[in-house]
Amino acid sequence: MRRLAVASLALLVLAGCSAPAPAATPSADGAVTVTNCGTPVTFETAPERVVTIKSTSTEMLLALGLGDRIVGTAFQDGPVPEEWAADAEGVLEISDFMPSEEAVLDLEPDLVYAGWESAFSADAAGERTELAALGVASYVQPAACRSADVPGKLGFDEIFREIGEVASIFRVDGSALIADQQQRLAAITPDDRGLTALWYSSGTDTPYVGAGIGAPELVMETAGFTNVFADIDQTWASAGWESIVEADPDLIILIDADWNTAQSKRDMLENDPVLSQLTAVKNDAYIVLPFAAGEAGVRSVPAVESVLGQLKDLRVE
Amino acid sequence: MSRPKAVSKPGARVSTRRSAATRPAVVGVLLTAGLLASIAAAVTIGSADLSVPDVIGSIAAHLGIGQSPLDTLRDGIVWELRLPRILTAACVGAGLALSGAVMQALTRNQLADPYLLGLSSGASLGAVSVLLLGVAVLLPVAAFAGALAALAVTLGLAGALGRITPTRTVLAGVAVSSLAGAITSFVIFWSVTGDSYRQILGWLLGSLSGARWPAVAIAGIALLVVGVPIALSGRVLDAFAFGDTTASSLGVPVQAVRWVLLGGTALLTGAMVSVSGAIGFVGLVLPHAVRLLTGPGHRALLPLAALVGAVFLVWADTLARSLFDPRELPVGIVTALIGAPVFALLLARRRSEA
Repeated sequence: MRRLAVASLALLVLAGCSAPAPAATPSADGAVTVTNCGTPVTFETAPERVVTIKSTSTEMLLALGLGDRIVGTAFQDGPVPEEWAADAEGVLEISDFMPSEEAVLDLEPDLVYAGWESAFSADAAGERTELAALGVASYVQPAACRSADVPGKLGFDEIFREIGEVASIFRVDGSALIADQQQRLAAITPDDRGLTALWYSSGTDTPYVGAGIGAPELVMETAGFTNVFADIDQTWASAGWESIVEADPDLIILIDADWNTAQSKRDMLENDPVLSQLTAVKNDAYIVLPFAAGEAGVRSVPAVESVLGQLKDLRVE
Repeated sequence: MSRPKAVSKPGARVSTRRSAATRPAVVGVLLTAGLLASIAAAVTIGSADLSVPDVIGSIAAHLGIGQSPLDTLRDGIVWELRLPRILTAACVGAGLALSGAVMQALTRNQLADPYLLGLSSGASLGAVSVLLLGVAVLLPVAAFAGALAALAVTLGLAGALGRITPTRTVLAGVAVSSLAGAITSFVIFWSVTGDSYRQILGWLLGSLSGARWPAVAIAGIALLVVGVPIALSGRVLDAFAFGDTTASSLGVPVQAVRWVLLGGTALLTGAMVSVSGAIGFVGLVLPHAVRLLTGPGHRALLPLAALVGAVFLVWADTLARSLFDPRELPVGIVTALIGAPVFALLLARRRSEA
């Protein structure tokens, strides 16, 4: 009780001290309002204490040089890429899974930044309205919006726009990062042999594959491949093996995750009587990408580079 | 169609029985023909665009007649993907419908299904251990072991409470199901990462998409060795319908028969669940649907339920894999989606006739 009283007093004092500050600089650092998955979110000041959920959000902040704002991460898809490893070191990992609202609030964040919209529900990090009432802003990677503002077919313009939006929320300059990504994208020479590819994420009986409008399609398309499931109007889909056998792709992109390794999928393909006869399996034409590369974000351009780099060593006709 | 009226007139019952005895045989022959036709039709349907003559040619080639007109991959679609899946569907459908009919008779409970004694929950626990915890056993083996373990615990619990009666068995099954279900949920909740929940979700809903020839062998052998004798046990089950005391006085060793049939049904169901996951609806509702058509006598009900189950699941699975081609649905969704309205229709028809 006493501690609470002291804390309240401290807050009052702090409020008293800081209240005039915005009034002194009314326009130089005005509020930023964004509409995020249909929810308007206003940032009076740049967020200082951010909890990130899923790798896309963590890596976006690291790429913008905002690693020091992250007070905790949760539900990461895997380790961050080498270039940001030093910045990510020592960041608190709340949970390997979806964190509870209490665990998130315990870190006193001013922003919860999620890679999946499903993070904002009562049985995960909390409803957005509830967080807002507690003074905690929420932000979903716009490409992952599902309830409203559902994005159409993903393009790099959208990814660059999202980098800019996050940069504006944090009042930093995102143009260097965007320029770097644009430059790298322009330097990519797509493969011109008309290769077909399957993006195989998980599942043995009913494979879960990259479909026609999301990050997997964008990566394959940019690399010059034709996705065998380009016609499905989804980011992902559960497909039947029969349609894969019929399409007989030239390449198989295997997603590597701790819980479902690329090797396990490769073993399965090679030991199956029909799937072992697929052209890509017979030619060992596999490309391996980490799970996080399948989500739209700052990893998308590097994913294309990685795909084309691995393609050089493969035998395809 | 005069049968329901005859039931209300006891005097007419004998003659109705006699005419009904020839009818199931005719229906059985028709259903067998229908099953063969369904299998033949289903094998020509799928996301790959294969012509009917090519499919027939491919199957003939594997049976030693001529050369397959298809290349290796398309031949594989017919012989390694479609045909074993369809045959597994037929065996599983037959096994589940048969098990459901027997369970309903043994427990004298209309809501009994093959999974009543904790079998599907036990099998799910086995499957989850393999899919999520990485226990290094083949999935069907783990699922089968889980199903039998659950059965053993259920019967052990029922036996520990005294004589094994229908009510005790059902209640023990409910307890075991809940426990195994809770452990399964815990494992899923605790260890699912990324998109690994999809595989287990498909299994829990019941899916035949992984059925290849080993699955045909498991389901087929179980159906022949365990299912056929059970399907021929209708006379004993008819005696059960009048209660344990009457059955004893008719010379049926009640406890022994109940044990043997429960054990047999459980083995059969365990084998089916191990290759297909817990497909719902078939075992619960198809026996009722067939009963509406054949009457309550088990001598006709058991074989006919098996045949109807086989035809039903072949078509349900064909829809599951081709309706939203190239996307797939777990067949367990389709069975209930088609089955429930059809069953409601049958119920409504019976009411208007009665």
